[in-house]
Amino acid sequence: MRVVANLTVCQGHARCEDLCPEVFSTDAVEGKVVINQPEFPPELEEKVRLAVRNCPEGALRIAKGAAA
Amino acid sequence: MNSPFSPQPADHVPAELIVDFDFFDMPADVTDPVQIWHGLVRNGTPPIFYTPRNGGHWVFLRYADIVEAYRNHEIFSTRKAQIPPLEPYPVLQPNGVDPPEHDVFRKLLAPMFTPLAVRRMTEGLQVRAEGLISAFASKGRCDFVTDYAAKFPTATFLELFGLPEERLPEFLRISDTFFRATDPDVRAANIQEIYAILEELFRDRNPGSDIASTIVQARDAQGNQHKWEDIINCGFLLFVAGLDTVTNTMTYVWRYLATSPDARRKFRERLDDPSAFMIALEELMRINAVSNIYRRVTHDCTFKGVEFRRNDRVVLPNTVANRDAGVFNDPQTIDLERKVNNHVTFGMGPHRCIGSHLAKREVMISLQEWLKQIPDFEIDRDEAPSVFGGPVMGFESLALLW
Repeated sequence: MRVVANLTVCQGHARCEDLCPEVFSTDAVEGKVVINQPEFPPELEEKVRLAVRNCPEGALRIAKGAAA
Repeated sequence: MNSPFSPQPADHVPAELIVDFDFFDMPADVTDPVQIWHGLVRNGTPPIFYTPRNGGHWVFLRYADIVEAYRNHEIFSTRKAQIPPLEPYPVLQPNGVDPPEHDVFRKLLAPMFTPLAVRRMTEGLQVRAEGLISAFASKGRCDFVTDYAAKFPTATFLELFGLPEERLPEFLRISDTFFRATDPDVRAANIQEIYAILEELFRDRNPGSDIASTIVQARDAQGNQHKWEDIINCGFLLFVAGLDTVTNTMTYVWRYLATSPDARRKFRERLDDPSAFMIALEELMRINAVSNIYRRVTHDCTFKGVEFRRNDRVVLPNTVANRDAGVFNDPQTIDLERKVNNHVTFGMGPHRCIGSHLAKREVMISLQEWLKQIPDFEIDRDEAPSVFGGPVMGFESLALLW
């Protein structure tokens, strides 16, 4: 599974980084989400899902399968 | 007063949507300013209603409508949105302009307030917090507002702007007037005073690494310095956005912790786990949302079946959104383990509070340093604090004992 971000919608709340810093960080210029490992390991799934549900703007989504 | 931004007479408002509600006024029996807002919801007030007070304005009471207003800048603008309406009034940068114009100053400020930039401030914030707290820790009591919550964010602001700490009382007084005054003459004089300070602050600046220097030295797409008026108005925004809000959020948080040994214990247990500490703090951010945010309607339109006119003012009470039972389970309960917590304390959409990471870190570090020195504390019930409403709600004082 992998997680994807919509950077137009992201407003830099950085809640994802607080909840799962292994997968999410924020850039140094705009403070928007940076996904460190889009294809995250299964042991992080719960944390990633929590981060997705806690995005106030709904900018994150979990997609099935590997990136095309 | 009449300007291109003055509201029109409210003859478009149906009688059943009119409620007499003054959010600056605190009845004598109110011990917590958020009560007046939650009272509206409890009494079955229409979720979009109009009050003739303070120049006349709408109030939204549903999470979904408040979030939509935050995101829809084409209807709900931040430009000239003051309540009561006031002219002349500056167009704050970037908060007072809408996208795409908004992007210019937003992008200029953004790198200074990213989580990364704020993490670099940690040590300085720790030193300040530790110093302020150790000044009264051995006394066994303090007035939390005067001795800490007002000083800490203001001193942080002064440092970010490269100003000496001696100017603290002056800045506290001006910020207090800005948020509390409703008299048009007092408000106009206050704005003049803020302008004079900012003029002096930005003029003849010896370039340094502080925020004011960065704004002055920034260049627009053509390689020129930004317009002087915009520079001053950006300073204006930072002045009014980061002082009172943090002070009153802290006061609310400490007021709650003083009454909850269980919550204090949970935070103490997380002192060595900043990530867990922050998750718990997020819940205190949800429940202690002090800001009521203004918008101005840009054109005649219908929103959620209600007719709006150009220049109608709207208040978005974050505390109401944050306790919407349709969004949050058991919304009035403080649950430090709350899993999903999409509160609107820092707003949403393009104008989301750019200083949120600094604000949260200020509260987090303050609480960590406080709990190390003062693990348990309570409210001195002999001193009844006075409360205030308006765009930022809070308490004049909070007497604590330990």
